[in-house]
Amino acid sequence: MTGIAELKLGNETIAIISISGTWSIYEKHPHAEEFIETILSKPSIQRVDLKFVDLKSWDSALINFLIRILDSCKSKNLTIDIDNVPTGIRRLIELSKTSPVRTTSPVSQRKPTIFEFVGRVGLLVFFSLKTFLGFVGKLLTGIVFFVRGKVKIRSREFALMLQDVGVKALPIVFLISFLVGLIIAFVSVLQLSQFGANIYVADLVGIAMMREMGCIMTGIIMSGRTGAAFAATIGTMMVNDEVDALQTAGFSIINFLALPRVIALTLMMPLLCIFSSFIGILGGLCTAVSATDLTIVRYCTQTAKAVCLNDFFVGIVKSCFFGFFIAAIGCQKGLQCRHSAEDVGLTTTTAVVTSITAIIIMDAIFAVIFSLLGM
Amino acid sequence: MMPKVSVKNLNMDYDNYVVMRNLSFDVQQGEIFLIIGQSGCGKSTLLKYLLGLKPVSHKKIFYDGKDINSMINLPGFYGEKIGVLYQGGALWSSMTLAENVALPLETYTSLNGKEIEEIVALKLSLVGLKGFENFYPSQISGGMQKRAGLARAIALDPEILFFDEPSAGLDSVSAKRLDDLILELKESFGITVVIVTHDLASIFAIGTRAIYLDIESKTITAMGTPHELLMSSNDKNIIAFLSRGTKIT
Ligand SMILES: Nc1ncnc2c1ncn2[C@@H]1O[C@H](COP(=O)(O)OP(=O)(O)O)[C@@H](O)[C@H]1O
Ligand SMILES: [Mg+2]
Repeated sequence: MTGIAELKLGNETIAIISISGTWSIYEKHPHAEEFIETILSKPSIQRVDLKFVDLKSWDSALINFLIRILDSCKSKNLTIDIDNVPTGIRRLIELSKTSPVRTTSPVSQRKPTIFEFVGRVGLLVFFSLKTFLGFVGKLLTGIVFFVRGKVKIRSREFALMLQDVGVKALPIVFLISFLVGLIIAFVSVLQLSQFGANIYVADLVGIAMMREMGCIMTGIIMSGRTGAAFAATIGTMMVNDEVDALQTAGFSIINFLALPRVIALTLMMPLLCIFSSFIGILGGLCTAVSATDLTIVRYCTQTAKAVCLNDFFVGIVKSCFFGFFIAAIGCQKGLQCRHSAEDVGLTTTTAVVTSITAIIIMDAIFAVIFSLLGM
Repeated sequence: MMPKVSVKNLNMDYDNYVVMRNLSFDVQQGEIFLIIGQSGCGKSTLLKYLLGLKPVSHKKIFYDGKDINSMINLPGFYGEKIGVLYQGGALWSSMTLAENVALPLETYTSLNGKEIEEIVALKLSLVGLKGFENFYPSQISGGMQKRAGLARAIALDPEILFFDEPSAGLDSVSAKRLDDLILELKESFGITVVIVTHDLASIFAIGTRAIYLDIESKTITAMGTPHELLMSSNDKNIIAFLSRGTKIT
């Protein structure tokens, strides 16, 4: 038997709801809305009586039903008598009324209009850019102090950091760069062989790897690998109060947490970029030698002829900037993490997305700058 | 006598959400001062303000009569003047216990390596963690992490120690030991102690004075010794808070 509630009219002014049966959230039971509607549709009703006949068992389903009825009666100024309500149920209802209500909610629940939304996003971008620039400013000051010897970095930790962001990234950088070189060469061979210009595969691969692909690929790899790790580590430290503890032990958060990471990645990125470029060229060489009649020596001399020092320089300059910004974004996002585990995941995702976007945008800007400089 | 810490009409909020209004109290030299109240009422937030971790306007919080804003940038404020034990210990997870305790010593004192090692061993043995020097925080239990956090907090012999719920998560024996240790630090070093807590046993065992932060009226509703609070208060929240497990007539 499931829960039953019946509405009867005693006379013109009194409605009686008799409740019986087994009320369970796992089974069908009446909903308060129908009753409220019926009662409100008869304006002559002044009073609602609750009757409990043969109530077998009950759980939250009945409590919820009664609370809804009570609340709507109260708001419509109808008298309702709860003396008949079994004591256990009455206590639970009273309990639910006495716990204090937090009136202001931490986030506004209202759905924003499209204009509001665009405005908010605009402001958000503006202010995050502003705080980020402030953060970069502090980092640069830190770097200046570091160079002048006024800020010290713990050498053992720094060495480990260098190893972590540099040496340990070599395998993945190797794999990706090799494959990218291979793919560029493969696509080029397909096209160039139509004109018998196979030899220019070396030019294409060499220049593409040195100028663009080397630093972009390492940038993207390091965003996902190291930038994310920075954000997650620092975010977790925020959650565990470790960052507060650093501050109340008198350490500067920027100098202690961010500076070593930023310096390490800024130093390591150019090296990784050079490594990536050469491995890419190696990948190109493998394709070219196996798919065409080029010899290793021809390919190498052609590459050396095609790639000039400028290309090399462009790649290195860009990767320095990429390294700096990947680390800065990772650290800053980490430090913005609020106090929950969920936030750490969110923080990490934002850090990766932001730094990959930043890399692509910066690369476009650099392309313009270098072409203006004629490099 | 100049109060050690003095708070005047402090308002606390997160963005738009008001946590507490109009807090005023003084902490005297050498006392064990308790900040009590239901969870979520803003005790940890108050601690953040007292520690200078949240920006505060001028003439609100004073240490030895000097505005906190002029203190936090002075060398020696953190570490020498104040030490903190956070709710979960907040040990730096990439360092061993010994390194955690040693870091402030290495940075702020001119002690040589051997002396630092000895002091680290001393502080760790004070909190009952002798022999755990080379453990990482993840390798010890929550209660032990908390004690190690205390060893770190007292590394530089601070004048004022702050605790955020020191006994939360400790078994009753460890909690008692921690209470004893706090009393000991107060008696022998004259350290001033500020404790955020809702642990009844330690409220009555060690507290010299307490303020009650009321979650409903969003301000301090009672101040005095814990017994005074229990006896003289007619606020039902305070009585309920302080009399759990005991029958009052
Ligand atoms: N970072 C934050 N942002 C917004 N509100 C917060 C934040 N931290 C805490 N609060 C709110 O402030 C109030 C007090 O929190 P807290 O000081 O941690 O309480 P307690 O330590 O007394 O349990 C709570 O209502 C909590 O929801
Ligand atoms: Mg708290």
